[in-house]
Amino acid sequence: MGDMANEIKLLSGNSHPSLAKAVADRLGIEIAKTMSLNYSNQETSVTVGESVRDEDVFILQSTAPGDINDGLMELLIMIHACRTASARRITAVIPNFPYARQDKKDKSRAPISAKLIANMLQTAGCNHVITMDLHASQIQGFFNVPVDNLYAEPSVLRWIRENLAGQETVIVSPDAGGAKRATSIADRLDRGFALIHKERPRPNVVGRMVLVGDVVDKVAILVDDMADTCGTLAKAAATVKEHGAREVIAVVTHGILSGDAITTLNNSCLSQIVVTNTVPLGDKVQRCKKLRVIDVSPTIAEAIRRTHNGESVSFLFTHAPV
Amino acid sequence: MVRNIVILSGNSHPALSESVCNMLGIPAGNRILSKFSVGETRCEIKDSVRGKDVFIIQSGGGSVNDHLIELCIMISACKTGSAKRVTAVLPLFPYSRQPDLPYNKVGAPLSKPPTEVPKDKYTFESVPATPAPGITKSASFGKETDLARVMSKTSLSNGTGNGIPRTNSENYFNANGNTNGDIASAQNYLTHSRTGSYTTHDYENPGLISTFQAKPGYKRWVAQAGTLVADLLTCAGADHVVALDLHDPQYQGFFDIPMDNLYGRPLLKRYIQQNIPDYKEAVIVSPDAGGAKRATAIADSLGMDFALIHKERRPTRITDRQNATMMLVGNVANRVCILVDDLADTANTITRAAKLVRKEGATAVYALLTHGVFSGDAIARINASALDKVIVTNSVPQDEHKRLCPKLEVLDVSPIFAEAIRRIHHGESISVLFQYD
Repeated sequence: MGDMANEIKLLSGNSHPSLAKAVADRLGIEIAKTMSLNYSNQETSVTVGESVRDEDVFILQSTAPGDINDGLMELLIMIHACRTASARRITAVIPNFPYARQDKKDKSRAPISAKLIANMLQTAGCNHVITMDLHASQIQGFFNVPVDNLYAEPSVLRWIRENLAGQETVIVSPDAGGAKRATSIADRLDRGFALIHKERPRPNVVGRMVLVGDVVDKVAILVDDMADTCGTLAKAAATVKEHGAREVIAVVTHGILSGDAITTLNNSCLSQIVVTNTVPLGDKVQRCKKLRVIDVSPTIAEAIRRTHNGESVSFLFTHAPV
Repeated sequence: MVRNIVILSGNSHPALSESVCNMLGIPAGNRILSKFSVGETRCEIKDSVRGKDVFIIQSGGGSVNDHLIELCIMISACKTGSAKRVTAVLPLFPYSRQPDLPYNKVGAPLSKPPTEVPKDKYTFESVPATPAPGITKSASFGKETDLARVMSKTSLSNGTGNGIPRTNSENYFNANGNTNGDIASAQNYLTHSRTGSYTTHDYENPGLISTFQAKPGYKRWVAQAGTLVADLLTCAGADHVVALDLHDPQYQGFFDIPMDNLYGRPLLKRYIQQNIPDYKEAVIVSPDAGGAKRATAIADSLGMDFALIHKERRPTRITDRQNATMMLVGNVANRVCILVDDLADTANTITRAAKLVRKEGATAVYALLTHGVFSGDAIARINASALDKVIVTNSVPQDEHKRLCPKLEVLDVSPIFAEAIRRIHHGESISVLFQYD
C-alpha cells in the first residue's frame, strides 16, 4: 500500500464540474471525494472525504460568471484544506484566471487585483498554478511559484483548419492588445492579418473603431482571448462587415458571456462564435445558435499528466492533444 | 480634530460606517465599489490615501465571500496607494465560527456494518480500538473477512443513516403529502428534525449531503477556514485588525499582526441593568456549554444567578421530543431567563433553549446576542418560538430583520467602533474601554 501515495488526485470545485469530469475521464481517474456547499449564512464549507496525504493534488476551479468571489473562496479553502491535510503538492488548475483584467495600476489607487489573487493563492498554500491563455502573460510574474500558462491556440488552429478549409480567410484582432495573439495564428495558418483600433472610454463600454488591413470578400476571423459582454466583438464584427468582409467568425478562448452577451451575439452580424469550454457555458449553447464549443479538457488533462510525471509542458504549446 | 485618517466603507454595512463617521466628525472616504458584469469586484479609491491612517469597515454578513474579497481588494488598493497603515474593522468576523463536523448518528464508517451492533448495547469504545499494547489489531475482523467488501458495505450506510423523515416531529411542516418538492421538505427535515446531526450551521442544499459519501475507511471532515481568512487579510496588506466578540478568543492567535477584539459585553450588561425589571432576580442562561464563560462573566459582574444548558450528544435512543437531547443545569422556575450568546445564525440553539427554559418554568425569556446573523428561516423561527425578546447589536445590518421580527431590539455598536478607531489612531489604550467595573 505504501507505493499508493503520490498519485494524481483531482479535486473539483463547484464552478465547472463538467470540465473536471472530462479531465478526469481523460486521465482515467475518479474525481476525489470532496463536497463544497454554502451554509445558510453564505459561508462556504468544504468537506473532504478522501485522504490526500502525500498525494499530488490538482484542484480544478474555473470562474462561473456571477459567482467569481464564491468560486475563489471555495478554491482557497480547498487549497488550504489540502495543505492542512498534508498533500505533497497542490496545483491550482484555473483555466480562466479570475481578475486577470485588473492587472495594472491604470489609475491612481486602482487595485492590482490579479496580484492580490496570486498572493492569496500562495497564502492558501498553492505550490503550482496551471492556467490557460492569461489575459496578460505578465501575470505569471505575480507568482513566486511556477505558473504554466497553457495555450488554446493549437486547438483553435485545428478548429479553423477543420472547419474553414479552402476558404479565403483573414485573421482580425479586435484590439491592439491582442495583435500578437492574432498574428501568431495568422502566421501559423499563413493567412492575412488585420487589426481594429478601438477607443474605450469606460469599462464594459466600447467607443469608435478603426480597421487597419484588408478584409474585402474574405471570411474574417476575429481572434481574442476573452469575450465578456461581447460589446467589443459585436462592434468589431460590424466594423469588419462594413469594410466588405463576406462573413465574420469570432474565435475566443474564454467565453465568459456575461450580462446581455447572448442577446448581443444573436443580434450581431457574426455568423459563428467559437469558444472553448474553460468557462462553464450552461444553457448558453441552447440560447445562442451561433455558439460553437472547442473542448480543451484534453489539453488540461495532458498538462496535469505531464506536470505529475515531470515531463515537459511546452510540448503542448505546439501540439494539440488528439 | 481627527486628521490624517480615512474611513472607507465596504458594501456590507454602510449604515454602521456612516454612523461611525458621524461620531468621528469626518466624512467617509470616497470610493467606487461595484461589480463588473462578470461578477468580479471593482474597486477604486477616489480620495488620496498617501501617508494616511486608513480604516476599512466591512462586516461579515450577507454574501460573505463577496464582502471578504471586496475587503481584501480595498486593503490592497490602499496599500498600493501608499497608505501609512490599513486597519480592517470587521464588526462580524467572517468564518469566525469553526463549523462542527457534520455529526451524524452513524458517525464515521465503522469497521463493521453497524447492524451487527445491538443498538442498546453501546460500549462507548471507539471501534476499531485505538492501537495500544495488548489490544489486538482490528479486533472486529476474522482473518477470512474480506476487508474491501466490509468497507464498501459500511460506506453505504454512512451518511444516509437517518432514513425517512418522521412525521409529527415538528409542526413546521407536513412530511406526509407535502407536494412542495423534495428539496423543500428535505430542507425542513434537515433544519428541524435532524438538528442533532448538524450542530452549528445548516446547509443550503441538503440533498448533496445525504448523497455524499467519503471513501470507505476515511472519516470525512470539514475544512476549517479560520487561519485562512486571517492569512488572506494579512496577505492583502492589513496592518491591524479590529473585531467584535470573536467566537473563539484563540482566533487572535491566528494573526501575526496586532488584533483588537472589542467586547459587546458592556453594552449587553447595560441593557440588562436598564431594561429588565428586577434583573437581580433573573437568571443568566448559557444556551450551550461553549458559551458558559461568556455568560458567567456577565452573571458574575452583575451578581446574578447562572444556569447552563447542556446538549446531550451521546448516542442514546432519540425519543420523539427534540428537547430530549438538551439538559438544563440550574434552577429557572418562576424567574426571568436571559439567554446570552455571541452569535445566532439559524437561531436553532437559542430557540430550543428558550423552549426548554420555558418548560422548566421560566416566566419570561430574553435572548441577548452580539451578532444576529439570522440566516435561513431564523426570523420565522424566532417569531414562532418561546422567546419574548431578542436583543442584538447592529454588527450586521438589522433593518430588514427588525421589520420582520417584532421581538427584535437592536443596540448600536457604532460608538464602540468610533471610539476604538479614535483610540487606535491616536495610539491610546483600547483596554481602558472595557474596564467598566
